[in-house]
Amino acid sequence: MSFQTLKVLEAFLENPSEQLSGADVHKRSGIASGTLYPILLRLESAGWFVSRWEAVEPESVGRPRRRLYRLTRTGLAHASGVFASFGRGVPA
Amino acid sequence: MNQSDTWFDGVARNLVRHAARKAPLALSERLGEEWLADLRARSGGWSQLRFALGCCWATTVIANEFGAPVGAAAAAVNKTTLVRHAESAPGFSRRGTVIVVIVGLHVLVVCVLATAIEAPNVFKVSPARIDVSFLPKPAAPVPPTPADPTPAKVWHDPPPPQGPTIPTEQTVTPADQIPEVQPARSAGSALPKSVNRVLGGPGAGFPNPDDFYPEGAIRLREKGLAMVNVCVDGSGQLIARPTIEQSSGSARLDGAALKLARAGSGHYRPTTEDGRAVSACYPLRVRFQFRD
Repeated sequence: MSFQTLKVLEAFLENPSEQLSGADVHKRSGIASGTLYPILLRLESAGWFVSRWEAVEPESVGRPRRRLYRLTRTGLAHASGVFASFGRGVPA
Repeated sequence: MNQSDTWFDGVARNLVRHAARKAPLALSERLGEEWLADLRARSGGWSQLRFALGCCWATTVIANEFGAPVGAAAAAVNKTTLVRHAESAPGFSRRGTVIVVIVGLHVLVVCVLATAIEAPNVFKVSPARIDVSFLPKPAAPVPPTPADPTPAKVWHDPPPPQGPTIPTEQTVTPADQIPEVQPARSAGSALPKSVNRVLGGPGAGFPNPDDFYPEGAIRLREKGLAMVNVCVDGSGQLIARPTIEQSSGSARLDGAALKLARAGSGHYRPTTEDGRAVSACYPLRVRFQFRD
């Protein structure tokens, strides 16, 4: 697993139930867009993430709706296992 | 938002739309909307531009991965080879191919440069293996018999362009053999007095002839014998431009022989007549050959 992928997972593991957009993950991890979005799609395809559109009306909020990602139970287990193997603290 | 930010925003949006269009069909619309929304979260023109350029790169990666069945990507994740996705697909990925091509081109350039640098050494023949030598002059003719008082015609010196008068007909012998020509004298005849003439040749301080073997001729392993006509005065200086009397068959070797003859000016051993240095023309025979 690449360092960038670990950074993305770490961003989600701060609060595993939180839903994050690509922009949010970028702010937390510092991963550039060219690397970030392939990782998000890859993890989603693997079943570690699920994604959905933000439930807002673009006209009402004055911006496009964002795509939000969330760790799945499977993703959380795998990600926790990966970080545990590194001896780092993982949120319960 | 100032004018430059507006310009950056417009460029970034267009780049993002372009990138999304290049994405796999199933993801194109989604990625376009998602990226445009995330682009709005970026502040600053340069940040937006970097984001848009990143999306262009992301499209390339995504198209490479998700153009294939999604299961392949999932398998790649399960094998925790998230970045080295090329390993899960047969052959090279596009990115891998590009890297291989770039590395190959670099190797090619390095090889070409190394070959160009080494080329002279590759073809260069060690001086120990070449030989440029002055051949002895042709064997002396048989001395004239008493019945034939006229000396044999061996070498016709061309009329010298300047300097003292040189006889046009002489009996010449190799420099290392100095026979005396004793034409018979018949009673009452008025034959010219016999002169002991010794032709000159390369003398002390003459350039090393091996230095004149042309590199091109060495590479082509050209060899041959060139005969250069040199006219030298009593001090060993050339008094006329050397000319090729007999070609070696190679223009390179002929040129080198002429160059050698010119470089030797001042270092020729002069022709002597009865021990007295005189101006004379004579052939300089230069052999180019390989010792092996």
